[in-house]
Amino acid sequence: MYMVIELKKFGTTLTSREEGREALAAFKPSLSDITDSESVEVVFTGVNTFSPSWGDEFFAPLIKQFGTRLILVDTKNLSVEATLNMLEKIHNIKFTRRNEAE
Amino acid sequence: MNTEFTIRETANKLAVNQQTLRRWDKSGRLKAKRKQTGKISRYYYDENDIENFLSNNFQVLLKIAQKWALDPNPPEILRRFHCPDRSIFKARLSRLEYDLSQNYNLTKIFPLIVAVTGEIGNNSFDHNLGNWPDVPGTFFGYNTNKRKVVLVDRGQGVLKTLRQVRPTLPDHLEALKVAFTEIISGRAPEARGNGLKYVRKVVVDYNFKLFFHSGDAVLSLSKINKTLKIEKNPDFVKGTFAIINY
Repeated sequence: MYMVIELKKFGTTLTSREEGREALAAFKPSLSDITDSESVEVVFTGVNTFSPSWGDEFFAPLIKQFGTRLILVDTKNLSVEATLNMLEKIHNIKFTRRNEAE
Repeated sequence: MNTEFTIRETANKLAVNQQTLRRWDKSGRLKAKRKQTGKISRYYYDENDIENFLSNNFQVLLKIAQKWALDPNPPEILRRFHCPDRSIFKARLSRLEYDLSQNYNLTKIFPLIVAVTGEIGNNSFDHNLGNWPDVPGTFFGYNTNKRKVVLVDRGQGVLKTLRQVRPTLPDHLEALKVAFTEIISGRAPEARGNGLKYVRKVVVDYNFKLFFHSGDAVLSLSKINKTLKIEKNPDFVKGTFAIINY
């Protein structure tokens, strides 16, 4: 069992902290339904631009809550790749990534 | 609504003298319009024509950006290049993204150009919200043929922002060094301050060039200059002035 978050539903240009924070606030109620055994898949398909400011606001709390149960899908966009590398460094974590959207 | 400007106002907006405008009119580089009042014919310029001219002439645009960054009494910026608040910046950033995505040669890297531009531009709003010393917002222009983006703000600058969390920072040179190398934020205790490190990594990894001026310090960054080159500059930028070359 897992929950899927499609980031493109928040927009295709994800760059500012303000919007990252807002996106998380909008999604938070759904996160409380996830049990301890479930994982969360975050799908990047359809996102054009993804930057650390948006990414940090959205992912920092998710990393805290789900840790290695967070699975990132379709991360080959260069801005996604570069931003995730930066977030891994900051939060000292290695994301589980899956590159083919299934 | 399209505004009309006299030749004097246009010269002021373009940071050139009226003689230059008359020369440009004759050569066709920037054609003036004429208004006949009795026997007198007057030159005037449409805001749209001036903005189109600037969109195609990056050197002139850059000169205006620089004047806006340095002048204690800056001229009003043409609307196409001024983002007075974050929502307008976001809309223009999306436009940049669209324009870049149309270039087949940039298919892979355009998201990085937009991300780097977004980080620098959003920083201006994040760090100056409610604290703009005079004119709020950013000057934001680009030219896809020259492969350049320019971003300016008249905010508090990097040193003043970082001193809020590191009061011992001695000068602008050190402030730029810290901003581009350490995970530190001028908005502590929030865990922030990775944007410019990201900018640095992308510039070096993908062979972009960055010129970043704040206070009397200028940082030049490129694949060759990857060890940060930060030097003192005789010009003083109160906020920040950045040119990205991709």
